[in-house]
Amino acid sequence: MKNKKFRARWLGLQLRRAIAASVACVVITGCATVKPAPKLNTYVVLLPEESSAPTAVIVGEGASALTLDRPYSAATVDTAGKIDRKSPTAAEANQTFAAALAAQPPKPISFTLYFETNSTQITPASRPQLEALMAEAARRQAVEVQVTGHTDRVGSDTDNDRLSQQRAESVRTMLVQTGIKATFIRAVGRGEREPLVPTADEQPEARNRRVEVILR
Amino acid sequence: MKSCYRALPVLVGFIVATATVAFADIGQIKNVSGEVFLLRQTVQSPAKAGELVQQFDVIITGANGTVGLTFIDSSRLSAGPNSRIELKQFRFNPTTQDGEFVTDVQRGTLAVVSGQIAKRSPDAMKVKTPTTILGVRGTTFAVKVEE
Repeated sequence: MKNKKFRARWLGLQLRRAIAASVACVVITGCATVKPAPKLNTYVVLLPEESSAPTAVIVGEGASALTLDRPYSAATVDTAGKIDRKSPTAAEANQTFAAALAAQPPKPISFTLYFETNSTQITPASRPQLEALMAEAARRQAVEVQVTGHTDRVGSDTDNDRLSQQRAESVRTMLVQTGIKATFIRAVGRGEREPLVPTADEQPEARNRRVEVILR
Repeated sequence: MKSCYRALPVLVGFIVATATVAFADIGQIKNVSGEVFLLRQTVQSPAKAGELVQQFDVIITGANGTVGLTFIDSSRLSAGPNSRIELKQFRFNPTTQDGEFVTDVQRGTLAVVSGQIAKRSPDAMKVKTPTTILGVRGTTFAVKVEE
C-alpha cells in the first residue's frame, strides 16, 4: 500500500518534471525563433578588366580604407567596420558571383559606316560592317540604338545638317526594316561639326562621310 | 461647375506630365530571369526586360532571380538571387559627363562595370552596403552582403 502510494507520487513527480521540461522547451524554442540581429558581412572582389584600363576600388573611408587594385584582390568588412584582406582564386570569386556575372549585360559597342559623296548610299567597303551591326543588334536583348550621322566639309552647313540627318535616318530605316526589336532607335544628324579627321572647309574627306551607331 | 469638370483631366494630365519630368529615366533593365521585382515609391511590380529605371527605384530578386541593367553613362549592374539593390542617387550630364551614382546593396550579390561617371571623377561613383562604402575608381568588381 505504502509502496503503491509512493509509486503514484513518484509518477506524479515525473509527470510534473516532464511538463516543466516541455514548457521550458517551448519557451526556449520560442526564444530561439526570435532572430538575433543578423551578422552582416560585406565581401568585395576586384575582377579583371576587358581592357587594360586602370582599375581600383577603395574599401571604406578615412585612415582605415583599403585599396583593391589587382584582379581578384578582395576584402571583407564586418558589422564593426573591420576590414580584412582576402585572396580568393579566380575560380572561387567566379563561383561566388556566378549568377550575377551571368546576368551582366554586354558592353555597349559602336560601328562606323561610310557613305558615298553627297549621298545616303553606304560604300561597298562598309557593307560587312552593316551586316555585323544588324547581327549584333538582333543578338542583344532590349537593345537601344543611337545613330549619329556626319558629313565632310564640302557644301553649306545647312545642306550638311540635312544630309547627315538623312544618312542617320537611312540607317535607322534599315534597322527597323530588318525587324530589330529595339526599345529605342534615336537618329540625329551632326552635320560637319564632328569630323573624324579635321580638314579645311570644302575639302572632301571620305572618313568624315559617316554614320556612327552605338548599340547599348 | 461644368467647366471645372472639364478642367480636371487637363489638371491631372499636367500633374502626370510634371511627375514624368521630375523622375527621369536613368537606365534600362536588359535581362530578367526568375523572380525579379521593381519597387518604385510604394508600388512593387514584376520587372521586365526593356523597362526603364529611375533614381530611387529598388531592384529585388527572389531565390532564383537575376537581373542585368545598363545606365545612361554606360555603367552596367547585374544582381544575383536574393538581392535588394537601391538606386539611391543618380545624376549625369551627357555633355560634360559629370555625375554622381550611389547604389545601395542591402542584401545579395551585385556585379558592377562602371561607366562615364566613375571615369570622369574618382569620387563620383559609390556602392554602399550595410557595413561599408566602396569608392569606385573603375571598373569591374563584385560585392556580396552575407548574413
